[in-house]
Order: sequence, then structure tokens, then C-alpha cells
Amino acid sequence: MQFFKQRRKQTNKENVPAMEREHKQPEAVVLSADITQNIQTLQTIYENCCDVVFRSFRIGGEVNATILYIDGLVNVEQLNIAVLPSLMTKQAAEATTLASFLKESLPVSSLTTVQTVAECIEQLSSGSCVLLIDKQPEAVALSIAKWEKRSLEEPTGEGVIRGPREGFTESISTNLSLLRRKLKSPKLKTKAKTFGTYTQTTVVVTYIDGLASETLLEEVEVRLSRIDVDGIFETSYIEELIEDNPYSLFPQVINTERPDVVAANLLEGRVAILQDGTPFALIVPASFYSLLQSSEDYYQRHAISTMIRWLRYLFLLVSLLLPSLYVAVLTFHQEMVPTTLLLTMAASRELIPFPALVEALIMEIVFEALREAGVRLPKQAGAAVSIVGALVIGQAAVQAGIVSAPMIMVVALTGIASFTIPRYAAGIALRMLRFPMILLAGSLGLLGVMLGLLLILIHMATLRSFGVPYLSPMAPMQWEEMKDVLVRVPLWKQNKRPRLTGTKNRTRQAPNQKPDPLEGDDQLSKGGQS
Amino acid sequence: MKRAIICFVVSISCFLLSGCWDRTELNDLALVTGIGIDQKGKEIELTAQLVVPKKLGAGASMGGNNSGSSGGATIVRSGTGKTLADAIAHLQEKLPRRLFWGHVKVIVFGEKAAKAGIRAHMDFLSRNPQTRLRSNVLVSDKTAKSVLELLPPIEQSSAEVLRELSNSQILMNITLKDVLQMLSGETGAAALPMVTLLPIEKEKTPLETIAYIDRTAIFKGDRMIGSIGDKLTRGALWIRNEIEQANITVSLKGAEGKITSTIIRANTKLIPSYKNGRWKMTIDITSRDDVLLNATNLSLYNEKHIHQLEKALAQATIERVNATLKKVQKEMHADIFGFADVIHRKYPKQWNRIKNRWDDIFPEIEVKVKANVVVQRPGMNTTPQGIPEDEVKK
Amino acid sequence: MEKGKISALQLAMMMYPAIIATAILLVPAITAHHAKQDMWLSPIWAAFTGAITVWIAIRLHEYYPKQTAIEYSAQIAGKWFGNIIGFVFLFFYLHASGIIVREYGEFIIGNFFIRTPLLFIMGSMILVCAFAVRGGVEVVARLSEVAVPVVIVVIALFVIMLIPDMEIKNMFPIFEHGILPSLKGAIIPQSWFSECFLIAFLLPYVANQQDGKKYALFSVVAICLTLVMVNFTVLFVLGNITARFVYPVMSAVRYISIADFLEHLEAFVMAIWVAGAFLKIAVFYYVLVLSTAQWLRLTDYRLIVFPIGFLILLFGNWAAPNVMELSHFLGTSTPFYLNTVQTVIPLLLLLGAKWRHRGKKA
Repeated sequence: MQFFKQRRKQTNKENVPAMEREHKQPEAVVLSADITQNIQTLQTIYENCCDVVFRSFRIGGEVNATILYIDGLVNVEQLNIAVLPSLMTKQAAEATTLASFLKESLPVSSLTTVQTVAECIEQLSSGSCVLLIDKQPEAVALSIAKWEKRSLEEPTGEGVIRGPREGFTESISTNLSLLRRKLKSPKLKTKAKTFGTYTQTTVVVTYIDGLASETLLEEVEVRLSRIDVDGIFETSYIEELIEDNPYSLFPQVINTERPDVVAANLLEGRVAILQDGTPFALIVPASFYSLLQSSEDYYQRHAISTMIRWLRYLFLLVSLLLPSLYVAVLTFHQEMVPTTLLLTMAASRELIPFPALVEALIMEIVFEALREAGVRLPKQAGAAVSIVGALVIGQAAVQAGIVSAPMIMVVALTGIASFTIPRYAAGIALRMLRFPMILLAGSLGLLGVMLGLLLILIHMATLRSFGVPYLSPMAPMQWEEMKDVLVRVPLWKQNKRPRLTGTKNRTRQAPNQKPDPLEGDDQLSKGGQS
Repeated sequence: MKRAIICFVVSISCFLLSGCWDRTELNDLALVTGIGIDQKGKEIELTAQLVVPKKLGAGASMGGNNSGSSGGATIVRSGTGKTLADAIAHLQEKLPRRLFWGHVKVIVFGEKAAKAGIRAHMDFLSRNPQTRLRSNVLVSDKTAKSVLELLPPIEQSSAEVLRELSNSQILMNITLKDVLQMLSGETGAAALPMVTLLPIEKEKTPLETIAYIDRTAIFKGDRMIGSIGDKLTRGALWIRNEIEQANITVSLKGAEGKITSTIIRANTKLIPSYKNGRWKMTIDITSRDDVLLNATNLSLYNEKHIHQLEKALAQATIERVNATLKKVQKEMHADIFGFADVIHRKYPKQWNRIKNRWDDIFPEIEVKVKANVVVQRPGMNTTPQGIPEDEVKK
Repeated sequence: MEKGKISALQLAMMMYPAIIATAILLVPAITAHHAKQDMWLSPIWAAFTGAITVWIAIRLHEYYPKQTAIEYSAQIAGKWFGNIIGFVFLFFYLHASGIIVREYGEFIIGNFFIRTPLLFIMGSMILVCAFAVRGGVEVVARLSEVAVPVVIVVIALFVIMLIPDMEIKNMFPIFEHGILPSLKGAIIPQSWFSECFLIAFLLPYVANQQDGKKYALFSVVAICLTLVMVNFTVLFVLGNITARFVYPVMSAVRYISIADFLEHLEAFVMAIWVAGAFLKIAVFYYVLVLSTAQWLRLTDYRLIVFPIGFLILLFGNWAAPNVMELSHFLGTSTPFYLNTVQTVIPLLLLLGAKWRHRGKKA
């Protein structure tokens, strides 16, 4: 904790110039009663901003007023049809006080009175109209925001066969509404903050009151409060600024664009961080095993999910180790391969100019390049990549005598294996790690592979994510938690929340919910008798 | 953190720059599948059978290099020297690739080498971390080289042929570990399978054949003292409780033709006894058989005939075992049956007294053979096929 | 100094590889040499030393629940004399760690990496261990929890895969020369069991102290059973030639052949064994670093991790000029050396502690 304190002091020092910079701006100025002066102030602030509209008119044909808004953020239709006409009627002028009139007869659901220029700016940026009225030392913000946003779509990064298909969008209000629709209890808390000197991005911390532990919430608050950057465009910015070990390759935070994943994690006592402008939410704390779970594990039959989890663990090892094992066995432990297979391999390698190590490195790098190109490429050229890819990692390369056929299979299998890991960030960490592993295998054989594996394990054993050991519940071992790691036990057996995150309220559901048709019969017959 | 990065970089570069001492590319290895050891005067000749990957069928996809002449996937190279290790060094001089012993399947001793003693070679072979304790050990009636240089028509190499033959367990199947155990055991004797060249078919080159196991070489100490044929070997297998597959053909009294039955399960117990300073050994054989062939006119659905058959089979087994005992126990005086181990286990105290005189005691042991054969099933036929119903003797 | 806490299960999981890792390699040959076909019995006799040592460590721990052996030896024997005892422990663990690292290196080089320099093999392992030790007792414990189940599964697999090649008759006659040979065969392995005294340095960091004692004895039993099982396997497979191999288990592994496909698994078994050896070295290394820091009254042990690692490397290099000397040392001196430091000195300490506490009461 001392470490954090030191960091905090440093950030405070860095803060000072930023504060000074802000003081020079006239935004803290309180609005005056003179409307022309106010307009002038705002016009200087919004100099060279063609998207800011100043519309002057008279309320009821008598009082001078100006309405300001940013074009594109405001529902102009509503402004034209509902707001402006009702302001321009005679009644407006006859009303006893302006404030009561506005409250009583303006057809806008949310009105806010603002006192300072800074508040005006904030309201304008978030899509409200600001109404300045002559002789009033305050302004009224009418929230009739409306801007273009993407409709709800299925998340592309986390597809499921069975399960909800809606994903988060870039709009925080939509995202919160999605979440609220899943968790209707008022215990779902959403705390908003603003980050970014220029972007003024809204970030919302959500949790369920009574499930998330106070220490975790406090830790999240403390870490978020350290953030002072000029702009935030993705939750990855926040992730990088709050994670425990910033140098680690492994993600220490879960990111997801699925509201059901966020909701389920909130129920386990975790905390989610949503941000305006990105569909990706962060969930803390994360453990390594939570990164290997897919939401679909809980939507499928439990035996199938268990099997798929084991498959995932197997392919996790494959994606990390297969190329290095291949290199190690081929250059150090030739006796391990069955004779016939070894002879086949020897025959296919006979004309290859590269050592196995170099061959493996080249092919793995080429595969990574193809993968990256596939993501970045314009859609029209996508077909070209798959054709070229099939040539480079395929029969053509073998026929050209550049790589051996077994190596192609190893690379292809490794490539596929890393995509069985549901969280892309975890998958990519393992894919990166296989390069040092190949080098170790090429220099010390299986011993090198084992040493490399131990180094990775040491690193993972040292990691923590918001106080939770990264390898938990495997190490430190919590046998009770294995129900959701080694296997996925049926829902009616998961009566307790995970120990590490759900300490506050461990009971998840009523016990003895195992479906039993006979039991139902009993009750029915009893009911009949009584 | 900076220090950690520097540490990491330094250690990685250490690995990369230096850690290649034991690295060998597959292309730089000469894969040995079989070793032959011959005695040449006072020197040892080591023959290694090497696989040539270029000539393997799988090379076809590699740039269309499909020359693979039939069975030419192996070559043999020899080296001579005072010891086996010397010979290897000599052999290595003649090869552009490093010899790799991890895939040695068989170790063949020439008869001369076997007669000169195999202990030193065994020591070398078990000391080397690359060789396998599971390699099969055989003796050749000619030189070991003549066996290894064969180019078998079916299998990839003659070493593979010998291994498959050994594993079929029709005759002896002895691994390097078994030899080591026999040599250091109480019996002071060992038995190894012995191979002979199969006569060459017409229109084939002299090398296109295989060697097959048809005898058993008997060792006393680490030297070969003689050999026994396949029939006697089967007798020895009966005593050693190693019989896996065997057909026994007998003829019954009062019927023409023969009946062959095959062993499904057999078990042999050696029961030693000690009375009045004399050792006695009872060999108790039980086996369960199925009828394989019935050339007589007897119906095997008759219990009487079955009893007759069982007795005949038992008698045939006893005769077989007795013939082996006569040759091996009485003439060769080699305890390849493990009598010593059995006595040691049952009478540890007495054993310690007779241990040193075992060579004298062994030939004098009175052996009694008992056999109990049960015929379980007559196969798919009830009465003999191919003869009219009325000729069948019910 | 060490703020981490481990669970009792973790303690057991740290002790298991800390003894098994090298014992599994060397003990079968040594016991087979003396006990012949009774070799499976020796680990059971040997385990008594383990139980006694654990009992001593636990009793001492009960007198001084928050302290390690270094700290309470100063309390029991007085400042000056206690420091000398502490130094003996330090030097002993330094030397023992060196020998373990050397055993590891010799095994790897003798079987797999014949041309690789010993220093490099030992150095790379110590470097990896150093990272774990820097992480503290929690990290070592967590690594044990991940690796030990794998090690146990691999040992079990090794036994299962050899079942077709086992010949039970190899174990007869039992007690051919009475009980003496199996007792003789236990003399060397029992010194391995005396390494259980390591728990004296770890017990203060166990969160659930009551379970700690139970699990410490549990690990002794587990070690004993594993050794018995391994000895049985080796005896059944190799029989009378067991004693002729330096590493009988490895030779038996080399004999595995299932369906002509699963053959020559020794490199794989070696890789898993390396994980076990890593844990053993890491536990010794950690105890050494921690007690050195306590002996020198440092505030943080992380500073001396790398210097001590370097010392272990040197001791590993100096431990013996060759394998023969090393096994001669292991086969002759260890019972006196290991037992004196890990059983006799603690026993004296226990007597001292009793005396002190009785004095206090009176």
C-alpha cells in the first residue's frame, strides 16, 4: 500500500500545472444578469465553433432570451415543435415568475438551473439546450439530447450459440439501461465520474450494494481517483491506469461487451466499470480462470460445459507449448518420437534448409502477421488474405521445400488453439509467450520448456488483481471453488458465491433445488389429500 | 523493474548464445535401428543398420523425389575396435552424421561373439543413456552383419522384422533388461533367441530375405555353450511359463489322422521340494486348449474322446518338456529355467548353503513333470467335416 | 519480515517435493544395494525419523509459536551460543542446497544434456528459483500447489504404465536374512526424511496452526507411501539388477512401452521431475534466505536472494569433484551429517526449551 501512496503523491504534484491552466480560463465565471454580457462570454469561448448555435428570441414577445445548443447533439425537432412555441406564447410573459412558468408549462422532462459559465459548457457538451433569459443571473438547461448512435447488435468478439445476443453500444445511457433491464433491483448502484481534461468522458462504476465488498469498492475508488489524463477513448485506458502489475503480459481485468456477463459478475460481488463511447466494460477483480470462462458455459448443459472447459485447458497448453515441444523433441529428444513417425519426420525434413528452431519461429511469425492482417484488412481484400494465407501456411510452402509438412500442422493447430480461449486478451498473451518458449526449447530442449513454464507460473503466482491472487482458486487452493473451475457443476449446486469475491453475502440461492419429478408428485398428492 | 528487464535480456541472450551444446538437428542424425556385434579375431566388429530418410516413401511429397527402390531404406556400416566403444568411434569416422542410438530395436550377436562372452558389451549397452533397455537381444548363427544387411521385402528394415518376430512370442522374446537380469541372477545361465537366414526365393537378389528365429542359444555365464532347436525351445518356454501361442498335434489310439489343438491359456508352476539331502522339482503344467483341426473320424462331442484327447495332449506336453530337460539339464547343465530362483524363494536358508555348488547340484535334480490339459471348445464344427455322417465315430 | 501466510495444505505440498524430488531418484538404488528384495520395506523404517523430526519441530513450535528455528535457538541457548547454532543451520542449509542443486545438475547432465556445462544447468535452475524465492513464501506455496498434483499424477502414471512389465515374484523371499538388511537399507533414506525439519522454518507462517501439525505428519506419510510404491515398482520391473543403476526409476521409465507408441518417455518424466526439483530447491533456498536474513537481523530478505543464489551455485560446484564422490558422500556421511543437524540439534534445543520453561514455572 505504501507503493500506492507514493504514486498518489506524485500524481498530485503533476496535477498542479493542470489546475493552473484551468484557472486562467473564464469558465468559472458566474453568469451575470445581463444577457448580452453572458452571450458575449459564451461566444468568446465558442469562437470558431461552427456547430454551436445561438438563437435569440423573445419570450412571449417581451423578454429577451437566447437558446444555445450544439448542432447534432440536440433533438432539433422537439425544440422546434414543443419548446420554442411554448416559450413564444403570450402566456409566458403573463406568468407570475419565469421559473414557475418554466417548471409548469415547458414540455421537457428534465430541467436544470445552472449558475456558472462552466456548468453551461458542461450542459451544452452533454447535449442539453441552454436557455439564457434577460435579467436572470442563471440559465436553464433543457435536456433534449439526441445524437446518432448505433443500434444494438450482437457482440462480434464474444459470440454465443445459446444466450442473449445483445451487446453494449458506444452510448453509456444505453449500456446502463441494458444493465438495468437485467438487474432491476434498486441495489444496483451506478456511480458516475468524469475523466479526461478535454474529452470529459463519463465513466460509471457499477456494483450491487450488499454483494461487492467495501474494501474492493474503496480500492476501485482510490485507483480511479489517481487518473488524470487529457482524454479517454476506450476502457483500455482505464485498465492500463488501474491494473496491479502494469508490466505483466496477462490481463488483470476482464473486459467484455456483453451485458449478461457484466450482470453475472456483479452478482458474484465484482465491480464493473463502464465508459461512455465504448462498448467494452471492465470487470474487476479477475483471476486467470475467470478469463478462461465463457458466458456460454452457463447457458449450455453442465456436462457439455465441463467437457468444453477441459478442452479449453488442453488447448490453452497446446497454444502455449506445442511449437516449443515440437522444437524440443525434434532437436533434443529424438528418442521420444515413435520410430515410424520419426522416420516420416526425418524424411519430410531432409530437404529443409532451416534448423527446426528457425523454421518454427518463421512460421509462427508469419501466422501472427496473417492474423493481424486479417483483422486490419479492408473487408474487400479479406478474400485475398485467406488465399495468400493458405499458400504461405499450406501445401505450397511444403512443395517449395521451405518448411516441412509437420511444422505446418503444428502452426495451424497452435493458431486454432489460441482462439479457443474466450477472452481475446488472455489468448494473445499466451500467443506472445510462445515465442520465448520456442527459443528456450531450441536451446535447452524440454528442460528449457519446463524452466520457461516455471517462470510463467512464478509470474502468475506473484500476480494479484485487486487483492485476489491471479491463480486462485487453484493456488491458493480452494477446493470448494473447483466446482466452477475444474468442472461446471449444475446450477442447483452452485448455492454459494465465489469465496474471493462474494465474501459479503455468500448465499446465492436456496438449497436443494435439484429437480426431482417424484418430489413434485409427492407434493401434489399431499396437496390432494389435505 | 529496469533491473528485471536487464536480467531477463541477459539471461535470454545467455540461452540463445550458449545453450546449444546438446542440440542436434534431425538432419544431422544417423538413426540406428539395429546393432550387430561380431568377433573378428581379437577385435570387435560393430555393425549399425542406419535408416536413409531420403529413400523413405514419405519423401515423395518433397519435390517429387520418388526414387525409393524397394526395401532400400536402410544401409549398414561397420567399424572395428578392441572394445565396443572403440568400434563405435571407428564407425563414426565413416559417417557424415552423428550416430543416434535412441531407436535401436534389436541387438544381434554373431555366434562367435556370443561364444566369446557378452558381458562387456552388455555393460556398454546398458550404460549408454541413449540405448533402450527394451531392445531385443538375439544371436545369429552366422555373423550379425549378415543378418542386418538384409533388405526385407515387407518390413522397412531387417531390425524391424526381428523385433516383430520377437514380439510375436512364438519362441523366446528377450530384451536387454532380461539379459541383464539373467546374467546377474542366481542361475548363472541365460537363453537368447537365435536367428537363421530364410532360404532365398528364386529370382530375388541374395539380400531380399529375412532372418527368422528358429533356435535358442544357451548361455552359461556370459558365454554361449550351444543351442537347442525350436521344439526343445517350446519345452523350455513351457517350463519358464512363457508359452503364449502353441499348437500341439497328437494322434489318438484307435483312430487314423491327427488332431491339432491350440493353447488358449497355460500356466506352469515350479514346486521345489527338499528331502533327505536331495532336491526334487515338480513341474505342474495346466493348460486350456481349443481344437483347431480334426483329421480323424472321431466326434469331439463325445466326452470319452475328449478325455482321450486331453490325456494325449498332456502326454505330448510332458514328452516335450522331458526332451528339453534331457538336453538342457542333463547335457548342457544350464539352468535356463530359473530353478535356482524358485529354490531361493522357497528355501532361502538351504539355498545359501548350496549356492556355490549349484552347478553340480542342478544336473542331479530329479524333475517330475505333471500336465493337466482341459479342452474347452471344439471350434466351429461338431463332427468332423468332409466325411459322410455314418463314418463318424460317435 | 515475511508477511505472507500459507495454509496447512500448502505446507504439506511444499514438504512433499522437498523430500521426494531427489529421494525418488537416488533412494531406490541405495536401498536395493543393502536390502535387496526387501527394499520396499526400508522407506517405512525411514519414515520414523521423519515422524520424530516433525514431532520435535512441532513441539519446539508450540513453545515459540511465532518464531523460526533461527530465532528460538537464540532464545533457548542464549544469544552467543544461539547464534552459533543459527550459523550451523545456515551453513548446513547452504551446503545442503548446494548438494541438491548438484544432484539435479548431475542427473540432467548424466541422462540428457551430456555436453552442456554443469554450471549452466545449475545456474539456470537457481535463477528460476531466485525469482520464486523473491516472491516470498506465498509464491513458493502456490507453485507447489500447482505442480505437486501434476508430479503425483505423473508418478502414478509411471507406475500404471509399468504394470504389464511387473513380476511380483521379484519380491520373494521376504526377510531372507531377517529384518536387518531392510533396516540397513533405511539408514540412508532416513536422513532424507530428517529434512522434514524444514517445517520448523515454515510453521510460523501457517495460517491454521492446528491443521499444520496434522498436515506435516500427513506429508511424511505421503512421502513414505510414494517411496514404497516407487520401490515396489522398480523392484518388480528390474528385480535383482536394481542396485546396478544409478537412477533405477529412470531406467524403469526407459523400459515403458505401450503399444509401440508410448516409448522412451524419460524426457517427459524428466521435465515433470524438474518441476519437483525446482520446488525442492526453492523451498531450501527460501528457508536459507529467510534464516540468513533473520540471523543477520535484516529487515528485508529480498536483498540477499541473488547473492545467496550465487553462493549456492558455488557450493553446488564445490560439493564434489565427480558423481562417484557425490554418491560416496551421500551413501556414507549423510546419515551422520543430516541427522546431526536436523534431528539431534533440534532434539537438544527441545530439551533446552523444556528446561527453560520448567524453570519459568518454578
